Amino acid sequence: MSRVADTIIIGGGVVGCAAAYYLAKAGNSNVIVLEGTKSIGHGGSSRNGGGVRQSGRDVRELPYAMYGIKNLWPNLSEELGVDTEYTQKGNLRLGKTEEHLKKLNTLASNAQSVGLDVRMVDAKEVKEICPYLADDIIGASWCPTDGHANPLTTTLGYYKRSLEMGVKYYTDAPVKELRKIKGKVRQVVLNDGTVFEGESIILAAGYESREIARTVGVDIPMTRLIDEALVTEMQPHMFDIMLGTAGGDFYGHQAHHGSFVFGSDSGYEVVTDMKDPSAMETNSLTLSASCRAIMSYVPALKDAKIVRSWAGWLDNAFDGVPFISRVDEAPGLILACGFTGHGFGTAPAVGLMLSQMVAGEETVVDISALRYDRFKPIR
Amino acid sequence: MIDIQEKLKEIGPYVEAPDDYMLVCRCEEVTKGEIRKAVHEGFFTIEEIRRYLRSGMGLCQGQTCGKLVKGIVSRELKVAPTEVEPAVSRAPMRPMEMEILAEDGGVAHE
Amino acid sequence: MKIERYDMIVVGAGPAGLSAAIEAAKRGIKPIVFDENQRPGGQLFKQIHKFFGSKEHKAKIRGFKIGEELLAEAEQYGVKVVLNATVIGLYPEKEVTVRIGDEVKHYKGDAVLVATGAAENMVNFKGWTLPGVIGAGAAQTMMNLHHIKPGNRVLMLGSGNVGLVVSFQLLQSGCEVVALADAAPRVGGYGVHAAKVSRCGVPFYLSHTIVEAEGTDHVTGVVIGQVGPDWKVIPGTEKHFDVDTICLAVGLSPMSQLLKQAGCKMADTKGGYVPVCDEDGATSVPGVYAAGDVSGIEEASSAMIEGRMSGATIAEYLGYITKEEKESRVNELEAQLDTLRQGMFAPKNRGKLVEKTEEGIDVSMNLLEKGYVAQDEIERYPGVTKSKGIHPVIECTQNIPCNPCQDACKMGCIMIGKNITSLPAVDSNHKCIGCGMCVASCSGQAIFLVEEDVEPGYGEVTMPYEFLPLPEVGDKGMAYGRDGREVCAAEVTKVRTSKAFDHTNLLTIKVPNEMLMTARFYKAK
Repeated sequence: MSRVADTIIIGGGVVGCAAAYYLAKAGNSNVIVLEGTKSIGHGGSSRNGGGVRQSGRDVRELPYAMYGIKNLWPNLSEELGVDTEYTQKGNLRLGKTEEHLKKLNTLASNAQSVGLDVRMVDAKEVKEICPYLADDIIGASWCPTDGHANPLTTTLGYYKRSLEMGVKYYTDAPVKELRKIKGKVRQVVLNDGTVFEGESIILAAGYESREIARTVGVDIPMTRLIDEALVTEMQPHMFDIMLGTAGGDFYGHQAHHGSFVFGSDSGYEVVTDMKDPSAMETNSLTLSASCRAIMSYVPALKDAKIVRSWAGWLDNAFDGVPFISRVDEAPGLILACGFTGHGFGTAPAVGLMLSQMVAGEETVVDISALRYDRFKPIR
Repeated sequence: MIDIQEKLKEIGPYVEAPDDYMLVCRCEEVTKGEIRKAVHEGFFTIEEIRRYLRSGMGLCQGQTCGKLVKGIVSRELKVAPTEVEPAVSRAPMRPMEMEILAEDGGVAHE
Repeated sequence: MKIERYDMIVVGAGPAGLSAAIEAAKRGIKPIVFDENQRPGGQLFKQIHKFFGSKEHKAKIRGFKIGEELLAEAEQYGVKVVLNATVIGLYPEKEVTVRIGDEVKHYKGDAVLVATGAAENMVNFKGWTLPGVIGAGAAQTMMNLHHIKPGNRVLMLGSGNVGLVVSFQLLQSGCEVVALADAAPRVGGYGVHAAKVSRCGVPFYLSHTIVEAEGTDHVTGVVIGQVGPDWKVIPGTEKHFDVDTICLAVGLSPMSQLLKQAGCKMADTKGGYVPVCDEDGATSVPGVYAAGDVSGIEEASSAMIEGRMSGATIAEYLGYITKEEKESRVNELEAQLDTLRQGMFAPKNRGKLVEKTEEGIDVSMNLLEKGYVAQDEIERYPGVTKSKGIHPVIECTQNIPCNPCQDACKMGCIMIGKNITSLPAVDSNHKCIGCGMCVASCSGQAIFLVEEDVEPGYGEVTMPYEFLPLPEVGDKGMAYGRDGREVCAAEVTKVRTSKAFDHTNLLTIKVPNEMLMTARFYKAK
């Protein structure tokens, strides 16, 4: 059994699995993926609300978010042989106050500056796009090319397809440390002492990436934050668009299957102190707070029954955009973490770019703004 | 550590069975064959199988089929059912309307 | 937002939860008990049969009566029971969120006892999702709580106590039970329960499972087949029955989700997915306890004792009693629990074939494989004796912890002795007066009175009878054997009902002398 490969990917989430897939697709299937838990996609990859959007993003992310939506998402289900439920019917970001609208306006003009089709719509147009929304919504930003997908099947689809293409996967394989050999990061050591070795090491392990990178003297400026989501029982088909709000109250969509999936919070998240982070406990306040938030924008769902809620950790970068970057002082290491809760929609593009970085090619868009060493003291 | 490819070799390919058509998860209409096949596609945990097929994700949250799915997965994996971890439990313990959950004495934030 | 605080929160007002709350309340705690149902008592109110055990286990009292007694006791000690209260989650710091009415309330307890019971298992076969395939527990709910007949012609799958007891109740409610099947090679439940179903004419098919439920929009029939050693159906052994209902009694699974959500360490055992508890029911999360079926499937009697133990343990945890007080109470309860866990059906014997009774008598293989004791087997048991005058015939052939018959006989005819699992023996030195108290007291309906030569060539058999309409003196019908087959014509000579019999009527029939050891049931023509 070979524990040496061209590329070792740490993290069997959507980014790691996508990177493995695009490497294999380019003919580099000598790849090993190490997942720390027993299940592929155990972290944020399966816990997010499934947004595949461009609007509302930082301009540093927009180029590859747009690239993915234009070039990768449309054919993904076909490529993977798994229904990703990708739906491109637009995203409404809702506002109830003048302040909200101001915020939405700024986001929209920033996005327009890099060529995204996003515009402001008034209350009347909001109702035309989605008649189920509350009457006190005074406006929204509207991005018709945004959408959503099923994060569960997308992540597992990348896994399944890359596995078929020869990528080797190990689960229940938590990483303890990285080791340099003659100045280059080559070895990945598991908690149980098993050593894997590769030319390139992609670190895509969510917040856990921070602890792992530290073992070769690199600190990634991010923190972790808990977030919750919930799902309703099947409902009759109501709408296909993705919803968000200027106030960040909630986000979500109706899945193909009929259930609504929403993410929301109670505000307690910033002080959550979970004894065992791997338990990902939900909070006793959040379920109710989430329902209030959702109902205040989509009152038509008041009778929908919630069947489950869950929590997941975000890996929040200090400035809200990820680190997708080689590391100068740790050659061989490529970081892909700090996605700050919005990594799912861009995962195909990020996976593709990671495969290009491994191959030494230029990435499809410039991501130099996402370097690992961009943190500068504020004074 | 589980070597997925090694394990897939060990359990052999998926072979159709006459009762594959049978519904196991009635809430989400998932058949025995779909579950068996998923195991041979590399989905070894209940968590993965739920996410891939939606078994146990419906109204009853696996109350009815949880044990059955576990039995099927363990047979395909050639391990004891006790070695297959059940899904985690999350609130609400019973399906509940948003309107009711919203009334917990808290006040909506603006 | 308001959080209501209690010393002790109990989730589930079944036998375990109520017993725990009562025990704790007796020590000065003011517990609050939540139950999602509109009535308290859990499964107790579906149990219309008499319980086994000894006096301290409330033996020979019907389950629903035990439920009423528990409720009265709970009220007496000021236990607050909130019904229609659905617990949503159990969170850190022992916080419980509960739906009450149209809102959600937050509670915190210094101790939380989870006594949520169990849910029925399902099995898969072709057509298992058709309407008409129901759980045995559901059938009980329909019959005993809502007074609705679950169907007309029923096939029961499962020969454990649930399958046997519910089959009998189906017969009582007027259903025809066409067959009782079980994939296992031997009857899983008490032999006395099997015997009373068998003599009503229900055929047992051991080593048989369901091949298919027939029907397009509801069950119209069922096919069962014999299973081989690989548990697969042997082709050619299929048997068809016209039925409208298929009842599944294939075991229970603990409803332990709440404990799992709370982060309790869990274990996957043969008894289901249960919290890892110490001997007092404490889980790995300090202050969170579990009792009853949620911590491992048993039955209501042990759930009540376990609940009492948890109540005493929590009282000590919260400082209401000393460690010594708790220990002495727990020891007392443990002794009660130990007696319940003795005999052939003790947890340690689960899955084992016990071939001899404690007395060294061969166990009836017919009983295990067909559901009734054969004619040539019955006379080897100490309760079955022959004598001229009226005397009891006790067809109790397995060692189970139960002894009400011994106390029921004021004449001293019945001996069990100190060992509660011993087979009852008839002492011919004491004179039977034919009062019938033993017949009515036997929870297994296994005691008969037999008297030879009541008139020339004819004698009388007195049997427990729990069917309606009650036959009348002078009625003529047929007598049936243990195997449910017609044996001879019979005439009803006496029908006795009494408050002391607690709804077990005593039916006396006249049959030829040579049928006295054969006739065990009566049906009108």
